[in-house]
Amino acid sequence: MKLSAFRKKSPWILHYNAGGCNGCDIEILACLAPKYDIERFGMINTGNPKQSDILLVTGPVTKRSRERLVEIYSQMPEPKVVVCCGVCACSGGVFRDMYNCEGGVDQFIPVDVYVCGCGARPEQIIDGVVEALSILEKKTKAMEETVQLKNQPVNEGTQLNRRNTAAAIIQPQ
Amino acid sequence: MRILLIVFAPVIGGLIVGFERIIRARMQRRIGPPLFQPFYDFLKLADKRKMMVHSSHAFLGLMHFISLWFALAVLLLGGDLILVIFLHLLSTSLLILAGFSTRSVFSHLGANRTAISVLAYEPVLIVIAVSIFMLTGSFTAASVFSYPAPLLFKMPLAFIALLLILPIKMKKSPFDVADAHQEITGGVELEFSGIFYEAVFTAKWLDYIFCYTLVYLFAGSNVTLGIALIGFVFFFTNALDNSTARVNYKQMLRFSLAVSFSLAFVNLIINILL
Repeated sequence: MKLSAFRKKSPWILHYNAGGCNGCDIEILACLAPKYDIERFGMINTGNPKQSDILLVTGPVTKRSRERLVEIYSQMPEPKVVVCCGVCACSGGVFRDMYNCEGGVDQFIPVDVYVCGCGARPEQIIDGVVEALSILEKKTKAMEETVQLKNQPVNEGTQLNRRNTAAAIIQPQ
Repeated sequence: MRILLIVFAPVIGGLIVGFERIIRARMQRRIGPPLFQPFYDFLKLADKRKMMVHSSHAFLGLMHFISLWFALAVLLLGGDLILVIFLHLLSTSLLILAGFSTRSVFSHLGANRTAISVLAYEPVLIVIAVSIFMLTGSFTAASVFSYPAPLLFKMPLAFIALLLILPIKMKKSPFDVADAHQEITGGVELEFSGIFYEAVFTAKWLDYIFCYTLVYLFAGSNVTLGIALIGFVFFFTNALDNSTARVNYKQMLRFSLAVSFSLAFVNLIINILL
């Protein structure tokens, strides 16, 4: 059995609030509580980017949290997926176009799953994370590794090509 | 039998951790993860990309695991108790060094707190080992394993002292300042990732076996009593973990040196006088 089969069985979550109102965050914590109990799928709220697989982002990206969001994302080892929780994280929500708000998370890091709602209900969050797990299973490490800029021909194995390959694998036409 | 236990110690420790996660979930009226969840985590971490801070950091984490396994082997083969305690201290100090070798503040905090928790439990363990020497006339674990009467009835205060420092060693509430997950996100283990995190991750499993073997010492040659003691300690630490909040490191140090250490010391005095 390949090791990649176990990615789905123990997804560790990193939860980051990019400047939201805490409404989605308490719903995420409600998922960990006895009623929904996502620990039975093996999920742990790690709080540590270096050991987690799923980045759960809530809230609109503010100017202060923008750099931290990208930094946290870059500190997570591949394979990783990003789930946006709540309408603010998806598009900016009611805070869109305000002077201190940068908009949705997908302007800065690639997002795999969007969970709508204000605030997102625990059932929806679990649904979104389960959706993210199927994406996590398909993602390969090699595709996400940084491209080394050496004296190699540009047209082969570049990031653009890899992105197309990834898109073809994730969404087979 | 003991050789098998030493060789399969990580596997058995993993099963204990999996069982413990189920028990803790049931205590909170949850269902909890499957029994093999620690092994799923292990195999998943093996697949992730390695993000090494620097090579000596990863090496120190690996050496922590190996030296802990060595300490466990010495204990199970009936070696010198003082030697076992210092080998365990060596493995912990390798982890502390790994924590200090990075530039992360959380890692430094975790290493500091691990050092303080060593300060809290180490004197108690030494005093317990000395009182075992006073009772059996030998420092070796083999003499305890073959001692006719269970040590529990001869030195009950030392057992209570051990019971009170086990949450520090196993990193459980109320004395989990070293691991403080919600506060410093794991402390020393923070900068480990991918396959190198597994050394620290599985070292925790070995630590469980180490702690339960220390508990088993109190039963002497009585196997039934030993298993009963291990079961009691298992449920006691988990119930304590679920029902208490974290104390700060000063309170932990004060409690362990005032209560646990004095209990063990009174026990030593009684053992010397009788």
